[in-house]
Amino acid sequence: MKECSEKMRKVASDALQKQEVTAVLGWRKKDFWWQSPVAFIESVDDVDQLVWDPFTVFNPVKYLLEDYDCHDKVGIFVKGCDSRGINRLIQDKRLDRDRVVVYGVPCEGKADADKIRASFASKKIKKVTIDGDSLIIDVDGKEERVAAEEYLLDKCLTCRYPNPVVSDKLIWEEVPVRKGVNEARFARIDNMEKKELEERFSYWSRQMDRCIRCFACRNTCPACNCRVCIFDQAEPRWLGKANDMGDTLNYHIIRAFHVAGRCFECGECERICPAGIPLQELNRKLIKDLDEFFGEYEAGLDPEDNPPLGTYRGEDPAGFDES
Amino acid sequence: MSVNLESHEPLIVAFCCNWCSYAGADLAGTSRMSYPTNVRIVRVPCSSRVNPSFIIRAFQRGADGVLIAGCHPGDCHYHSGNYYTRRRFTVLKRMLEYMGIEPERFQVRWISGSEGAKFAGVMNEITQEIKALGPNRKLRDVR
Repeated sequence: MKECSEKMRKVASDALQKQEVTAVLGWRKKDFWWQSPVAFIESVDDVDQLVWDPFTVFNPVKYLLEDYDCHDKVGIFVKGCDSRGINRLIQDKRLDRDRVVVYGVPCEGKADADKIRASFASKKIKKVTIDGDSLIIDVDGKEERVAAEEYLLDKCLTCRYPNPVVSDKLIWEEVPVRKGVNEARFARIDNMEKKELEERFSYWSRQMDRCIRCFACRNTCPACNCRVCIFDQAEPRWLGKANDMGDTLNYHIIRAFHVAGRCFECGECERICPAGIPLQELNRKLIKDLDEFFGEYEAGLDPEDNPPLGTYRGEDPAGFDES
Repeated sequence: MSVNLESHEPLIVAFCCNWCSYAGADLAGTSRMSYPTNVRIVRVPCSSRVNPSFIIRAFQRGADGVLIAGCHPGDCHYHSGNYYTRRRFTVLKRMLEYMGIEPERFQVRWISGSEGAKFAGVMNEITQEIKALGPNRKLRDVR
């Protein structure tokens, strides 16, 4: 893993020195063991900040928009899930492919800090590193080796694209796709659909009741890239400000609908949610229906094609009474 | 919020496309057919003008049912608007059902300008269905 960080630093410093790019987006280490936020590298001196560790889960793609549109050429490190975000932005005409140099970093999955905290005392952990398929947790100077599989994020265990789908340069070798990920894709949705109507409503109202409307799910989502989001508009005001179940449901229904056919299932919305709302169950339900009715479509793979709600066929089936 | 179930008169918002369904409503009127007064018509230029937010907002502000009525596929005044309507609201309708909203509350129908009788029939049918369901409490604002 140390070599991985070294490789990233080498690539970034070469690119900055040769002036191929004027800035690089990657990840850096912050104060605590579970924090590896996005790093903004603008000079060769800062390149040493770059790291690759079990917590570099954040998607740097959205920082290409408002934050880095001052740079003509930006280098960006992307994992498999992030890379589909690049295609997403190109497809939405928010990003010019020539503006970015994409460094692909195949990813075997990222660790879930909550799962680690459940087994080890958080305050005693000094460092967590990954070595092949085991996780090395440094607890008060004593190294504990555990199977990585048990401590990875749920979204990584069902990841269908661990290797970048778009990249100018792969930094290291591709990793194999996990077994059974295609079967697991809609498992939660199938379960939910079998339940009774009232049961479904009480499930969702219980989940949404925890929502504090921080909009983290929207902010992190590469598919949510409108210049002005309707939830921020004051006139007309589409979403009330009161702490009201109606408004919360409104927000979640409309958010999910706005990414329908464009969501590429990176699962960041669900991971980042401070209230733990299972948002992927909404996004995947829409994907499942779109696949079922209008033909299978995989978002974020081809920046040239049309998402299913941006096109039509005369013979489309309908989910309502067409008589 | 106290609603008397016995005497509850539902409020139904019908978004009608200007070129077909609104003309259908007109024909129902000029042909002296009657349909329930629970239905409030909002005229829109095309059924694909209806933003999903309109529907959720209508429910929030007290609608018990929402209907979207447009031209039959192939008859759109703007050539392809209702094809988009069909895709969009197929997924929205199924998503609302998935979240536990009764499927009768949100409906989409095709009503052409010559189908005055169908318009009156659909309105009668929907009003009855929603009356049977009672008031919408799930998506409504508590305020």
